[in-house]
Amino acid sequence: MADSIDRRDFFKGAALGAAGLVVTAEKAADAVAAPAAPPVTLPTDPHVHDLAYAQAQSTVTTPPTRVTTQGRPASDFMVDVLKKIGFEYAAINPGSTFQGLHESLINYGKNTAPELLTCLHEEAAVAMAHGYAKAAGKPMLVAVHGTVGLLHSSMALFQAWADRVPVVLIVGHHRNPSGVINRPHSAQDMGLLVRSFVKFDDEATNLERFAEAAMRAYKIAMTPPMGPVVLTVAAELQESMVTNEPRIPELVVPAPPQGESAAVREAARLLVASENPLIQIAKLGRTPKAWDLLIELAETLQAPVDTLGYSSWQKFPSWHPLYGTGGRGYTPDVTLGLEVTDMSAQARAARASNRKTISISAEHLFQGSNIHDYGRYADVDLAIAADAEATLPSLIEEVRRQITPARKSAIEARGQRVAAAHKAGQLDGIREAKYGWDASPVSVPRLIAELGDQIAKDDWAIVSGHQFTGDWQRRLLNHDKPYRYNGDCGGFGIGYDTPASVGGALAHKKNGRLSVAIVGDGDLNYSPGVLWTAAHHKIPLLFIVHNNRAYHAEVMIIQRMCGVRGRGNENAHIGNVIADPDPNYAQLAKAYGMYSEGPIEHPKDLAGAYQRALAKVRAGEPALIDVVSQPR
Amino acid sequence: MSKVYGVGIKVSVVLVALLTSAWPAAAQSQAPTALAAPTGDAQRGKVVFETTLRCFACHGYDGQTGSPRLVPMARSEDIFLAYVRKPATQGMPSFAAVSEQQLRDAYAYIRSIPQAAPAPDSVPLIKGILDRRTKAK
Repeated sequence: MADSIDRRDFFKGAALGAAGLVVTAEKAADAVAAPAAPPVTLPTDPHVHDLAYAQAQSTVTTPPTRVTTQGRPASDFMVDVLKKIGFEYAAINPGSTFQGLHESLINYGKNTAPELLTCLHEEAAVAMAHGYAKAAGKPMLVAVHGTVGLLHSSMALFQAWADRVPVVLIVGHHRNPSGVINRPHSAQDMGLLVRSFVKFDDEATNLERFAEAAMRAYKIAMTPPMGPVVLTVAAELQESMVTNEPRIPELVVPAPPQGESAAVREAARLLVASENPLIQIAKLGRTPKAWDLLIELAETLQAPVDTLGYSSWQKFPSWHPLYGTGGRGYTPDVTLGLEVTDMSAQARAARASNRKTISISAEHLFQGSNIHDYGRYADVDLAIAADAEATLPSLIEEVRRQITPARKSAIEARGQRVAAAHKAGQLDGIREAKYGWDASPVSVPRLIAELGDQIAKDDWAIVSGHQFTGDWQRRLLNHDKPYRYNGDCGGFGIGYDTPASVGGALAHKKNGRLSVAIVGDGDLNYSPGVLWTAAHHKIPLLFIVHNNRAYHAEVMIIQRMCGVRGRGNENAHIGNVIADPDPNYAQLAKAYGMYSEGPIEHPKDLAGAYQRALAKVRAGEPALIDVVSQPR
Repeated sequence: MSKVYGVGIKVSVVLVALLTSAWPAAAQSQAPTALAAPTGDAQRGKVVFETTLRCFACHGYDGQTGSPRLVPMARSEDIFLAYVRKPATQGMPSFAAVSEQQLRDAYAYIRSIPQAAPAPDSVPLIKGILDRRTKAK
């Protein structure tokens, strides 16, 4: 809205216009002749924004929002709260239970900070927020419809929970529902629907509580171990009017806890005395600082860093001399886990052979969960309940203090051995790209190597996970910046990669980074509508579809089960294959308004297709290349 | 692509880990030229490999891009049949219920697949990556 237009005057005009639209033909003459409706008398009760008050009003009067043209809608106040928190974006799929907030965001809030992102499915909205949070280092707001929208969101909330990633979700509902449509969108306890996998949920019953609950929700989401939070806000409250405006509290996110000093000293003692230390990481890297700190610790100890595969954020450079597990024959006598969710296997193995394990993790502060992702009980030798990133400076300082000249030479010698072993192993790993190099369908290493060649001069970021490309990405592309890779889904459920990549790419857009997502055909089919969201909001991102036309891990699983039961293997593809007819993902992308090419079946056609698509992405658009690929 | 990651990933990792360690080592211990000619029909075997039994799901369409690699095949036909009927590893499916002829045909097809792995240094893209990794600090 133009700044010169007074918002209240605009509302008056709009409401009168709307009133005219709903007048029926039969009553048109009466309506024209009738005097203008008297101005609405706004309630003066200081508790007008209380939910109970709003409920009472709604039972005895025409809902005031239908004719409200004056005063300050409560949802405008909510927008002020959200602006104070600092949300840049709000991913939404619209619904009447948050129509008040929606209207306030686009008109009162001028659709900036937060800017609405139109999503075609709530799971995509939350997954976008998931990917965004890991790339931006802060949560995106999500707003969804009562019950139905929240239930659609539930899978992606679960993934964010399992990945320890902050997402702030607002869900609307009706406290006093009427009609067959509103009633199913309301619940006695909305948060219950997802309480098994959110860190916090609350329902604001008045504006003062909304302001506090929103601040609290954000604070809890961002405090390690991080996680998604849900705030329920009744439509009646959103659409009530403000009189005595509550104070908006300051947002105070607590400093994350550092490890207790004596325990950190003991950890340093064990590491410095170790002949073969190993550092393992998983959910380490809330901020880019962790990247540098981990390099510093690893180099000070000359200890290999094991990034632990799929569930890890993998915040360590993939071509660093210490990236790996130390090489063949390197048996760690001390294993340090930094934000490793489950160290039970390491602890059991270590205890069986008189080796030591240390865990520094905010996971120790977990209150409990209905989900078993926290793993088995880990009887490590030293557990430090603290944020590992916040603890690294004191651990590094203590390690440095305890290294004697004699240990220093032993440590340096170890580092040379480890670096040599890693380098030889990594070069062998790169050479394996030769197998099937010219094969059709295209091999996964060829798909990635051709990409690496095209983006070598860009400041790139891979914003998808890598479960289905194996470790080829880290073998063939040098992950030399903390943002090169945005991690996997966390909960090992399909449908994350495509929408989360859009969120990650959005976060990288303002830094001018070139975002690329390598997504499976199976994943893309869960929420293809997010392609439209990327096109609509002009989020630059290259999608490469690793199109192997099946759920291939499941093909193998069923083959095995057929073999176990001795009933023949020829039916193993039934229920696992995405072919006949073969979906055409390039056409799908075109339908959503995105530049696309494919299906590409021969590797010789890759380079040109990448080149053309990347030109679009560098110009600020998304693009998609459908590559028919080998199964794995 | 795995739908149920918790199962799919775990099993596929087991497949890769176990089969990689168990089969190629044995396979590579014998030179392919020392093996007797296959008795099956390679053309029918291609159908078995790609359509009936879908061996490519683990091993790749050309038997080389998956894991473990089957090309060059270094097992004799009889050892191959014995292995696939009663695999030594947990990840490899048993093909005990498959007809002997189908297995012999599949073997013949695998033996017919040419090795398609150029020398890494002869591929500019791979050589470039090797050079960059060598120089990385």
